[in-house]
Amino acid sequence: MAVRTIDVRERIMARNDELAGQVRERLREAGVPALNLVSSPGAGKTMLLERTLADLGDELVISVVTGDVQTQNDADRLAVHTDRLVQAVITNGACHLDAKQVLTALDAIDLAATDLLFIENVGNLVCPASWDLGENAKIVLFSVTEGEDKPVKYPKMFQQARMVVFTKLDLLPHVPFKVERAIGFCRQVNPELQFLSTSALVPDGLEEWYGFLWAEARGGTR
Amino acid sequence: MHELGLALEVCRMTEERLGSDGMAQVRAVGVEIGDDAGIEVGNFQFCLETLLAEPPFRGARPVILRRPGDVLRLAYLEVDDGRPDD
Repeated sequence: MAVRTIDVRERIMARNDELAGQVRERLREAGVPALNLVSSPGAGKTMLLERTLADLGDELVISVVTGDVQTQNDADRLAVHTDRLVQAVITNGACHLDAKQVLTALDAIDLAATDLLFIENVGNLVCPASWDLGENAKIVLFSVTEGEDKPVKYPKMFQQARMVVFTKLDLLPHVPFKVERAIGFCRQVNPELQFLSTSALVPDGLEEWYGFLWAEARGGTR
Repeated sequence: MHELGLALEVCRMTEERLGSDGMAQVRAVGVEIGDDAGIEVGNFQFCLETLLAEPPFRGARPVILRRPGDVLRLAYLEVDDGRPDD
């Protein structure tokens, strides 16, 4: 008897990427851009989305897929601000959303009546960088309560992203965070990154964010 | 968690290729991992070894092949399927 070797040479992410392609195709057919919001836990993804839904909800039809390890608390918070279905994905321990979860979530969303889709990923700067969800762009939220050197600690996420949105700018007078220093670290790993600065609580800096969203909904900013 | 998810995906790919009956015949699983793949190799190897020790596998051996770049792929399967030597 012989032990035989079967040559495989297949990418481990191949199945996810195939499903991400299906997500992308469905969104393209429906003309819906999708933005994948990623960050450390507690950077303010849900808060920014709450404010965005409250401010734009009457003019821009936004659907949301939220991912959390446990609870649908974020989806419940967002549902207060929109009549649209907020689709919660509980990952049951997984540290990221995958394309299969997003594809399943799309079944519950009326894409024909949607202008823009947000995917609020699990708070984690490591694993979500590796999983294509069929989004148009990853947006990293970077709060001023974090260290400015996050981009060099977690380079893959910042390399994969199109934009960095600084959050909690209202706290800037109380913390040692220097925005220009953080931008320098961002540019070390990805010179192409775009930047916005926001505070969802005060609120401040949201007009630029909304301008970006409107441009995406109308067909993209690049 | 990331490494466990990837190790589970390797098991799914193995089943897809060999069928559920063939998984008991696997002796080794070769996985190429790039230095920039974002994988903690020791953790991944431990997760895969744990999964391969449990049915329907029968103690197959994970073989990690380090590579430059961000490659992450199932390279090969070694199976003893009971067929006579060629």
